[in-house]
Amino acid sequence: MVSWQLAAATAALTCAIAAAVLARELSRVGVHQGYAPAQPIAFSHKLHAGDFRVPCLYCHFGARTSRHAGIPPANVCMNCHGLLQKQTTDLELLKELIDQQRPVAWIKVHNLPDFVYFNHSQHVTAHVECQACHGHVERMTRVEQQAPLTMGWCIDCHRQRRTDFTVPAANLDCGKCHY
Amino acid sequence: MIAWSAPAADRHAEPPSRRRTRWIDGDPTLRDITDDVMRPLTSRPGAAWWAAFAVAASALAIGAASVTYEVTTGIGTWGLNKTVGWAFDITNFVFWVGIGHAGTLISAILLLLRQQWRTAISRSAEAMTIFAVMCAAMFPLIHMGRPWLAFWVLPYPNSRGPLWVNFRSPLLWDVFAINTYLTISLVFWYVGMIPDFATLRDRAQSPLRRFAYSMLSLGWDGSARTWSRYETASTLLAGLATPLVISVHTIVSMDFATSVLPGWHATIFPPYFVAGAVFSGFAMVLTLLIIVRRVMRLERYITLRHLDAMAKIMLLTGSIVGLAYATEFYNAWYGHNVYERAVFLNRVTGPYAWGFWIMVGCNACAPQLLWIRRLRRNVPILFALSIAVNVGMWFERFIIIVTSLHRSFLPSTWTMYRPSMIEVGTLIGSFGLFFTCFLLFVRLLPMIAMWEVKALAGHRDEATR
Amino acid sequence: MAEPLTFWRERPEADTSRRDFLTRIGFTLAASALAGCSRGPVQQAIPFLNKPEEITPGVASWYATTCGGCSSACALLAKTRDGRPIKIEGNAESRLFGGGTCAAGQATVLSLYDPDRARGPVWRGNATTWEAIDKEIQPRLTAAAERRVVLLSGTITSPSTRALIAEWSSRFPHFSHIVYDAVSFSGLREATRRVFGVAAVPHFRFDEANTIVGLDADFLGTWLSPVEFTRQYAGRRRRALDQDRVRHHHFEAGVSLTGSNADRRILMPPSAHGATALALLRQIAARAGVAIDGLALDATVDNNAIAVAADDLWRDRGHSLVVSGSNEPSVQVIVHAINGVLGNVGTTVDLDAPSLQKQGDDAAVAALVDDMERGDVHALLVYGANPVYDYREASRFVRAMESVALTVSFADRVDETAAHCHAVCPDHHFLEAWGDAEPVAGSFSLAQPTIAPLFDTRAVQDSLLVWLGRAPGFYGYIRETWRRDRFPRQTRYQSFDEFWDHSLHDGVFETRPAPVAPSRSPERLALPTDAWRAAASEIERGSRDAANRSSTEYELHLYETVALGDGRHANNPWLQELPDPVSKITWGNFVAVSAAAAGRLGVESGDVLRVSSGDRVVELPAFVQPGQSSDTVSIARGYGRERAGRVGTGVGANAVRFAAARVVTLAKTGRQQALAATQTHHSVEGRPIVRTLTRDQLRQHDAAVEAPLATLYPPREGGQHHWAMAVDLNACTGCSACVTACQAENNVPVVGADEVRRGREMHWIRVDRYYGGTDAQLTTAVQPMMCQHCENAPCETVCPVLATVHSSDGINQQVYNRCVGTRYCENNCPYKVRRFNWFQYAGNERFDYTLTDPLERMVLNPDVVVRARGVMEKCSLCVQRIQTEKLAARREDRPLADGRIQTACGQSCPADAIVFGDLNDPNSRVAKLRAGRRHYTVLEELGTRPNVGYLMRVVDDEREQTPHTETRL
Repeated sequence: MVSWQLAAATAALTCAIAAAVLARELSRVGVHQGYAPAQPIAFSHKLHAGDFRVPCLYCHFGARTSRHAGIPPANVCMNCHGLLQKQTTDLELLKELIDQQRPVAWIKVHNLPDFVYFNHSQHVTAHVECQACHGHVERMTRVEQQAPLTMGWCIDCHRQRRTDFTVPAANLDCGKCHY
Repeated sequence: MIAWSAPAADRHAEPPSRRRTRWIDGDPTLRDITDDVMRPLTSRPGAAWWAAFAVAASALAIGAASVTYEVTTGIGTWGLNKTVGWAFDITNFVFWVGIGHAGTLISAILLLLRQQWRTAISRSAEAMTIFAVMCAAMFPLIHMGRPWLAFWVLPYPNSRGPLWVNFRSPLLWDVFAINTYLTISLVFWYVGMIPDFATLRDRAQSPLRRFAYSMLSLGWDGSARTWSRYETASTLLAGLATPLVISVHTIVSMDFATSVLPGWHATIFPPYFVAGAVFSGFAMVLTLLIIVRRVMRLERYITLRHLDAMAKIMLLTGSIVGLAYATEFYNAWYGHNVYERAVFLNRVTGPYAWGFWIMVGCNACAPQLLWIRRLRRNVPILFALSIAVNVGMWFERFIIIVTSLHRSFLPSTWTMYRPSMIEVGTLIGSFGLFFTCFLLFVRLLPMIAMWEVKALAGHRDEATR
Repeated sequence: MAEPLTFWRERPEADTSRRDFLTRIGFTLAASALAGCSRGPVQQAIPFLNKPEEITPGVASWYATTCGGCSSACALLAKTRDGRPIKIEGNAESRLFGGGTCAAGQATVLSLYDPDRARGPVWRGNATTWEAIDKEIQPRLTAAAERRVVLLSGTITSPSTRALIAEWSSRFPHFSHIVYDAVSFSGLREATRRVFGVAAVPHFRFDEANTIVGLDADFLGTWLSPVEFTRQYAGRRRRALDQDRVRHHHFEAGVSLTGSNADRRILMPPSAHGATALALLRQIAARAGVAIDGLALDATVDNNAIAVAADDLWRDRGHSLVVSGSNEPSVQVIVHAINGVLGNVGTTVDLDAPSLQKQGDDAAVAALVDDMERGDVHALLVYGANPVYDYREASRFVRAMESVALTVSFADRVDETAAHCHAVCPDHHFLEAWGDAEPVAGSFSLAQPTIAPLFDTRAVQDSLLVWLGRAPGFYGYIRETWRRDRFPRQTRYQSFDEFWDHSLHDGVFETRPAPVAPSRSPERLALPTDAWRAAASEIERGSRDAANRSSTEYELHLYETVALGDGRHANNPWLQELPDPVSKITWGNFVAVSAAAAGRLGVESGDVLRVSSGDRVVELPAFVQPGQSSDTVSIARGYGRERAGRVGTGVGANAVRFAAARVVTLAKTGRQQALAATQTHHSVEGRPIVRTLTRDQLRQHDAAVEAPLATLYPPREGGQHHWAMAVDLNACTGCSACVTACQAENNVPVVGADEVRRGREMHWIRVDRYYGGTDAQLTTAVQPMMCQHCENAPCETVCPVLATVHSSDGINQQVYNRCVGTRYCENNCPYKVRRFNWFQYAGNERFDYTLTDPLERMVLNPDVVVRARGVMEKCSLCVQRIQTEKLAARREDRPLADGRIQTACGQSCPADAIVFGDLNDPNSRVAKLRAGRRHYTVLEELGTRPNVGYLMRVVDDEREQTPHTETRL
C-alpha cells in the first residue's frame, strides 16, 4: 500500500510551493519599486541636478514650506531657458505649451496611497537628504522610484533617527502619518 | 416526517439491574453492526433525506445570498447602529461555538473517563462539533467592516515595519482558540474513523470508492501492532483535546468579560459560558440523534439509555447555567454599582425583557423536568426540551450582547436594535450550512464508530461462534 | 496638484507586470488581499504655468472676510487651500464677535459649492448672457423713470451697498428701497421710534447685565446676533463665577436654546407675552415708586415668577436687561419702559451705536404689496429676500407680482421668488465677492473674494452699477466709500492705501460713532409717557382677544431653528443634519406638543398631525417636548422649501403660512413618520455625568479637592507634549457650532435622514442634552461629547489589529487604513463616541451630500483622509492642526506657544468653552483649568483617565437648576 503515501507526499509538496509563491507575490502587491514612466518632456535630472548642479530646492521650492515638493511651474524653467540660446525639441514643446497657456502634465513617479500623510517640509526641516528617499536623482536621465516606499521602509529610517541623537528625533506614532 | 411511537427495541427492554448497563439492544453480530451502520452509505437516499437536504440546501442558499449582499454593500445592511455594534453576528458566533462543545467533551473527556455509552454517539457528536465550529468561524469573518482584510488578524511577517497584531485583544485570542479547536477536532474525528475507513475499503465494490477509502484509511491493516499504536494515539489526542473543551469557551467569554461594559464585565463568565456551551451542545446532540436514530434505524445502538445519560448531563449543566444567572443578579444587587444595576434591571423589565424570560424559561426552568426519570426516557418530551434549550441558549447570547450594549453608561447614547432581513437570512444560512454538512455526513461516512461498538458487542459474538 | 482625496476610486493603470499577476491567479484569497492595498494609479502632477506669489500648493492661506450667512454679519477668516476656500473661522480681531461663529456660518463654505446654485443669468426661464439680460433690463428701467421702481431686499448691513442704493434713488425719482426681513424686528424699531424718537434696534449688552429677563427672545440661538450675544453671555457668566451672581429668567412657550440655558425658565403662552411685560413693568414701577395709572392686575400671568424676576432686576438696576422677541410695537414699548425705569438705557441698551442687523419695515412691505396689486409698481428688484416662500401672504404676493412689468431676482438660485421673476441675475456667494458690513453702528468689516466666481454670476452691486449706466467694479466703489466715510474717522494711518490694506488684512475697523439719538434724560425715561399708556391699553385689548380660544384650538408659536434659521440655508446638508440643540432632531420640522396635549390628542412622538388654520393645512410629525406650554404648539419655520435644491426641497413643511394665525387646530392622521433624532433618551438617570457646583461650594475652595483615583496601570512615559482639552460646561450653551465646525474640518460625511433614524449619524462631536424637572420648571444640562482620549483607553486594548493606539503625546489615534471593522472598540467605548462607516459614503450616489458631487468635494480638507467603508472613525483632536503648528514652530525655530493650536470645535465656539493645550506646560490655560476645583472627567471611576476633561457648571441651587434627579422623562 504505497499509493496513499505517494499521493500524500505530492499533495503536501504542491501546497507548500503554492503557498510560498502566493506569499511572495502578495508581499509585493502595491510596491512599485523601479517605476519609471516616460514623461511628456524628457527632462533629464542628470543634466540639471547632476552636471549643472542646480540645487533640488531651486525647482522644487515647495519642499521647504509645503507638504508637496511640487513640480516647478513653467516660469521657473524659463528663469534660465528664457536666457539660454540652446534649443531642443523638448524646449520647443515647452515653449509651445506656454504660448498655448497649457501647463505640462507630468507623470507623478513617487506615489503614496493618500491614507498616508507625507510632508516634505517636515523632512527638509529635519535635514533629511532628498536622496534618502528619492535615490540619486542627479544621476537619472529618467526619474525612477528606487525606494520601495513601504511603511517598513519609512519606519526603519524613523527608528534609526530615534537612536542617532545627532539629528532631530523622528516619531513612531501612527498618527504622525495616518489621519 | 417522523412518526413518534416507542420503537420495537425499547418495548421489551430489560429492567435495570446490578449488571453494568449494556449499551446495545438485541444481540447483533459484528456483521449485523457493520451492515446496520453502513446501510445509509450503501443504499440510495430516501425521500425523507432528499426533503431534508432540499430544505437545508435552500436555507444555505438564503444565507449565501445574504452574506454576499452584506459583504458587497456594507455592514449597514444590518440593523446595527452607533451604540449597538454587535448583535446577531456575535450572538450566532457564540451560539455555534457553544454547540460545538459536546463533540470533544463526549469523545475526549468521556473517553478518558472510559464511559462506554459514548461509543455509539461520539462519531456524530464530533461531526456536529466540526460543522458547528465552521458555522461559528464564519461570523467573526463576515461581521468585519472589511472582511477581505481579515488576514490582518494573523501575525505574519509583513512590509509594514513589521506591524504585528494586538496580543492584548480577546478577539485575537479567539482566532487562536477557535482555529486550534477546529484543527484538533478535525484530527481527532479523522483518526477515530481510520479503522472504519479500512472496513469500508474492504467492503467497497467500485474501484473509485476503494481507492478513496484506502487513501483515507492510511493503509490500515488491523494488526495488533497497529491497534496498540492506534490506542496510544487516540488517548494522546484525547489528552490534547480535553483542555480545549475548557479553553475555547473560556476565551470566547473573555470577549465580554475583559470589556468595561456593565453586563459584560463579569468574572463569572468563563465557567458560566463553558457550562452553557456543554448544555447547548448536548441539546443539539439530542436533537440530531433523536431524529437520526429514527430515520436511520439505529435505535438499537443509540438506545434510550444513551438519551437518558445525555439528559442527565443537560440537567446538570442547565442547573449550573441557572445558578450563573442568579449569581449575576446577586452581584449586580450586592455590588452597588449604579450602571451594573441598571443593566440587569433593564434585562428583566426593559424592552428586551421578553427575550430574557424566554432565556430563563428555556435554560433554567425547562431542564428541571429532567429530574423525572420517565421524562428522561420519553423521546418526544426530550426532543421538545432539546429544541427549547437550543432556542433558550441562542437568546441567552442575544440578551447578554444586546441588552448590555443598547443601554450602557451615557443615557444620551441609548438606542434600540432591530435585526434586518439580511441578518435573519444569515442566521438561517448558518443553520443551512450546518444541516447540509450533517446530512452529507450521514450519507458519506459511518455515523457510528463501528469498531468501538463492536468492542462492546464483541464478547457475546465469541460465544455464539 | 491633482490629488485624489480618497483611496477607493482609481483609474486602473495601463501596464505594469505585477498588476497582471493577480489576474492570472484568479482565486479569491489573492483578490481579497488585493482589495486592501491601494493600487498606484497613473497620477498626473500638473504645476502652475505661472505660479502666483502668494499660493504654494499644499499651504493654506487665510483671508479676512465677513459672513453673508445672515444679517448678523460676523467677521470671519476663510481658510483656502490650493485656491479654494475649505473652512470658515471666526475673526478674533473683531471686538463684537471675537473669533466665534455659529453653525450656519461654518456651513456657508459648503453653500459656495452648492451644485444647485444658478449657473448664470436667466431671462424668462431661459439661460442667457449678462450682455443680453442687461439689454433687456436696462431699457425697461429707464422707461420706468416716471414710475415706481422698488428694490425689495433683506437687511443690508453693507454701507457701500446702501450708498449705491442711495444713488439709485437720485437716479430714479420714484425709486424706493424697502427692507423685508422674514423674521422681522419691525415692532422693536417702531417702539424705539415711539419712545426714543429714532427707529432703530438697540445694541444690547448682555455682558453688562447681572440680571437678564428674556421674553421669548432666543438671543443665544437665533435672535438678532446670536454669536455676539453668546459671547457676551458666556463672558458674563465666566466673570460671575465665584464673586457676584448672575441671574437669567426666561419666559417662553416652547423650549428654546436660550430658555434651556436660563437659571429659571417660566412658561408663557404667546398670548400672555404682552400681559407678562405689563405685569413686569408694574412690579418694577412699584419698586421704583413710579405711579402708573390704568394698569389693572392681570391674573392670566405667573405673577409670582414675575415678582422674583422683578426683584432681581431691581437689585441689579442699571445693570440688568429685559429683551422681548415680540414683533408687537406695544410690547416693545413696555419693554423699553421697563429698561428705562431700571436705568438700563445707556448701559445694557445702547442706542448711541445701535444695531443695524435688522432693518425690516413690515408696514412698508404691506404697502408695497397693495401698490403692486394696484399696478403702481413698474419694476421690482428682489435681493436677499424670498417673500414668495416666507411672506405671511405668499400667494397674495405672487398674484401681486404678476401686475409688475419687470421683476428681477438676485437670488443665488432659482428659488421660490426667482421662479416668478422675469429675470434672475444670480449674485456671487459672499466668498466670491467684495463687500463690507456695519452690523453695529461704528463697527465695520470688509469682505474679499477668496475664489474666482465658480459660475457665471455677477455681484448684485455690479448689476446695480451697470443698470445705472456706470461701469461695474464694486471693489473700486467700496474703496471710494471707505476713503470718503471711514478713512477720516481714524488717525492711525496717514495714507488711505495704508489704512485700506490694514483694514483688509484685519477684516475689521471699529470706532465709536458720534451719538445719533436725540436727547434722552434718564429721568424722562423713568416717567410714564403717553406711549406707555397707549401700548398698555393696546396690550390689554389684545390679551382679552387671546383669552377666547376654543378647547380644540392650540396657540401657535413659530420659531427659528439654530440650524436653518429663516430657511435660506435649507439646501445645506451640514445644517439639515445638524441636531437641533434642544430637540436633537435633524432633517425636518415637527409639531412640538406638551405631554398633556399629547395625552389629550392621544399621540406620541412620530405620529403625524394635521395642523390647520382656516384653509391652511400642513401635516407634520408630533414631538412630545418636555417643558412645552400645555396649550401651545411650537413649529419651526425655515422648512418646507419648494425650490431649495436637491437636499432641501420638500424637507419638513412650511409653517410660515400660519404666520397670520394665532391659533391652530390639531387632528391625528393615524400615519407615522419617525423623527430623525440623534438622542432618544432624555433623562440623565441620576448618573453623575454632567456635574454642577454651587457658587458657595466654589467660594469655599477653588482648588481641586478630589484626589485622583488610584490605578493599577503604570503611568505612561511622557512624550514631548501631553495634549489635553477642557470643556467649560458653565460657558457652553449647546449652540452646536462646534459640531458643524468639526464636520467641515474633518470631512465628516452626511448620511441622510434614514441613516440618522437608524442611529448612524457620523458627527465626531455631539452635544448631549439632558432634561429634568417638570414641564412647568424644566431643567436642562448640555455636554459636548467627543473622543475623551483616555490614557487607559478601553478601545485600545480590544482592537485585534492595533488600529487604535495611544500616541506619545496623549492622543488616542485611530488608524483608518489599518482598521478591519470589528467594531469592538465602539462596543467597549464607555462614551460611545466612535463612528463606523456603515456604507461607502464617498462617491456613492445613495449619499449624494458632500462627498460625492465633484463640486461639493471641493470643500474637503486635503489634510484629512476621506474614510472608506467598513472602518471606524472618531475625533482626532484635530491632529492635522497640531502637526501643522508643531511643524511651523520647528521651521521657524521657536517654542510652540500655548493657544497657537486650536481644535476646530474650540476655534468656532462663541462662548470660548473649549480649551485645548499642552499639560506638560504648567502655565498653559488647560493645565491651570485642570488643576482647578471645577475640573472633572466623565466616568472617572472606570479608570480610563481621559485627557478631555470638563469644568462643572456653577449654579445657585442644584435642585432647581440641574436635571440630576430621577425624572419621569
